[in-house]
Amino acid sequence: MIAPEQYPVLIVTVPLLSAFLINLIGMVDKRLCYPASLLALGASLAAALAVAARVAATGTIHYHVGNWPPPFGIEYVIDHLNALVLVVVAGVALVAAIASKRSVEQDFPDKRAQFYTLFVLLTTGLLGMTITGDAFNLYVLMEISALTNYSLIAMGGNRALVGGFNYIIIGTIGACFYLLGVGHLYIMTGSLNMADLLQLLPALFHTKAVLVGAILMLLGAWIKMAFFPLHGWLPNAYTYAPSATSTLVAPLMTKVSVYIMIRVLFSVFGAYYVFTVLPVKGLVVWLAVAAIVGGSIFALAQQDFKRMLTYLIVAEVGYMVGGVWLANQWGITGAILHIVNDAVMTLCLFLFCGIVVHKTRGHRLENLRGLFRRMPVTMAAFAVGALSMIGVPPTAGFFSKWYLILGGIDAHQWGFVAALLFSSLVNAVLFFRVFEIAYFEPAEEVHGHGAAVAIDEAPLSMLLPLVAVAIGLIVLGLYSTSLVSTFIQYAVPAGI
Amino acid sequence: MIWQFDFIILALALICAVASISLKDLLSAAIVFGAYSFVMCLLWTEMGAVDVAFTEAAVGAGVSTVFFLAAVLHTSRQVKPRRHGRFFYKFIGAAAALAIGGVLLAASADFPTWGDPASPASIHVSPHYIINTIPDTAVPNVVTSVLADYRGFDTMFETSVIFVAGLAVLAILGRFGRRTRDEAPAEFAAVPVAGQSPIIQAACRIMVPFMQLFALYVLAHGHHSPGGGFQGGVILAASFILIAISYDLRAMIGRLRERWNMVFASLGVMIYAGTGALCLLLGANFLDYSVLHRILPATSPIMARSHGMLAVEVGVCFTVMAVMVLIYVNIASHGKSDKGL
Repeated sequence: MIAPEQYPVLIVTVPLLSAFLINLIGMVDKRLCYPASLLALGASLAAALAVAARVAATGTIHYHVGNWPPPFGIEYVIDHLNALVLVVVAGVALVAAIASKRSVEQDFPDKRAQFYTLFVLLTTGLLGMTITGDAFNLYVLMEISALTNYSLIAMGGNRALVGGFNYIIIGTIGACFYLLGVGHLYIMTGSLNMADLLQLLPALFHTKAVLVGAILMLLGAWIKMAFFPLHGWLPNAYTYAPSATSTLVAPLMTKVSVYIMIRVLFSVFGAYYVFTVLPVKGLVVWLAVAAIVGGSIFALAQQDFKRMLTYLIVAEVGYMVGGVWLANQWGITGAILHIVNDAVMTLCLFLFCGIVVHKTRGHRLENLRGLFRRMPVTMAAFAVGALSMIGVPPTAGFFSKWYLILGGIDAHQWGFVAALLFSSLVNAVLFFRVFEIAYFEPAEEVHGHGAAVAIDEAPLSMLLPLVAVAIGLIVLGLYSTSLVSTFIQYAVPAGI
Repeated sequence: MIWQFDFIILALALICAVASISLKDLLSAAIVFGAYSFVMCLLWTEMGAVDVAFTEAAVGAGVSTVFFLAAVLHTSRQVKPRRHGRFFYKFIGAAAALAIGGVLLAASADFPTWGDPASPASIHVSPHYIINTIPDTAVPNVVTSVLADYRGFDTMFETSVIFVAGLAVLAILGRFGRRTRDEAPAEFAAVPVAGQSPIIQAACRIMVPFMQLFALYVLAHGHHSPGGGFQGGVILAASFILIAISYDLRAMIGRLRERWNMVFASLGVMIYAGTGALCLLLGANFLDYSVLHRILPATSPIMARSHGMLAVEVGVCFTVMAVMVLIYVNIASHGKSDKGL
């Protein structure tokens, strides 16, 4: 009934419409919200996969909303880069939704309708930001994903409210910067369409207004992705967020922001302006080095497992930003591959964290004691995720790190290479400490001394997604070359 | 551009902005912030952006001030004094603000002059909208045709943003299920209950129907004059909030139940997105209203665009009205939908 040409818009509008339906369904029966959100996200993932297959076969797809040609109307542009990111976002959101069942029932049984409506709308926002070819449309979707994100975090109660409030302030400043930047470009060119801007801007590269616009848009993206000196909001917001929320936002928010940075740099300003006209290439790589080293050191200092993971996110953001600004084929390939891999790795770790919170009602390191005996399958899956974070082959994390290191060597950015190796070392120390606690330290005996520890696995709705993601990490690693040759090599701007 | 007028407005805007930040009394700060919005509204009018001015007046100076007042009444009227590090934070804040302001000023040197007919914004896409709005859509108000048709996709998501705002307030403040009778009174004893004065009640009683009628006019006449679903929705919401303030919250909830409110909020955005999806089902692109002529009797594709816009404006109006009332009810009553303010 609906032609394949319409699939791009379905990726976004199916979850959008479903979200409102879920809200209404929740008034009738709260139990229906969960399957309804799975259906919506599943349909979105199916559309994203179909679109990605078409992009791989025939190249970039343009979709004109309302049938108005750009730059007068809003245009969806799906090329090799965002086709890949769309699949990742839709896939991660679906897995996070599947795993959310128990923790949502446990944390807010009365607010399931609100939770799933916001959850699906957040995914809509992320997908919409990824798919659009219009700089202002991106901002509107950024608002949706940000607002839903703040409220999903704040649903976690007292400390989450404070973390969420800080995040609102900082996040709003970030979004404002992006909007101001778009405003500068609009004043100078009269256009909001990215492809049109790419045509119009080169004549204006010498103006200060375009420079300030570029800096503002970049700063906005950096605040949103928690790039090192601007990361202050992230640890508290993500640590105290409810598990079901952090499983969705921790893998996706920062990665989509990195995607936006790449999109703005290469599809609005162009690689020539970013790497040749702007005199900040080396500086940004050093900022990335600071992010990697800083994030890793802060992670070492944590006694709280979930907070440790949030600082690792800060370090991983450094990987991707640094990789892009290495300004060579390897570095950008590595950064884009790392968007995919890091989303899946972070999903794996936060799914595990959700299980720990569900089972032990806490997320400090001592909550992990004795878990290897209690939950062997869960721990095995977690181990895969941890090995991938460290960068052990054949898990996915190794391959993107390998590309990034090659890029660093190629660009003679030895600081960046050293930071990557340092961070791998720190990750190894961190995760082996976690293994040690979970394997050797006995759980606190509740039922008297010497009782045999019974196997007490996580519920299936949480365990299966975790195991699937862990297997996915290995599959992703094994197929990373074909991922690069099918999608990523076309996403790297030509002439670098 | 009348520079004397602009100078006064900008000076007032600056004074209001500084005052609303530095006032220690949060109630006064909220009022001054409302005044700031009103000054901005004058500025938009002077620029000829009447639709924006309308929205700013209704939202910035109107309902958002009431939200602030409700929030202040339930938290604290005074700024909490900070014991240490105050100067340091102030210094950092001032330095950052000055630096960003300086950068923005430096960039503005490259901008085209005020109202320049040859500026890029006036010669690139705007002329296309101005010339083609009547032949394309039969809607004389260009702002409406840009917002609801050419860039209608953005407006759909903006309406969703409003929906999210309402839902977020409900998700954080709302209390479901375990509502206990005994937790309400203690908190509300301190809140001054307005509406004892029969003069205020009588005056509001007379005003409310006219406000609602005007709201419907603003909604329906958006194709031809400034206004539309957004402004109409806010005015409708204001009429309900007026009932709540002059009587009490229960009097308003008796007329607009919270459950229905949530239904209206969802329904509004569903009308918008549903219209888009209907175009999709009829074989056209999403939100391509012109295809609606196949199911609307005696309508050309061009008039179908005009009708499609009216449909989505009605959707916007529903959502905006319901969400504004919802936010007010939840902030004013601490999420209990009890009496408050």
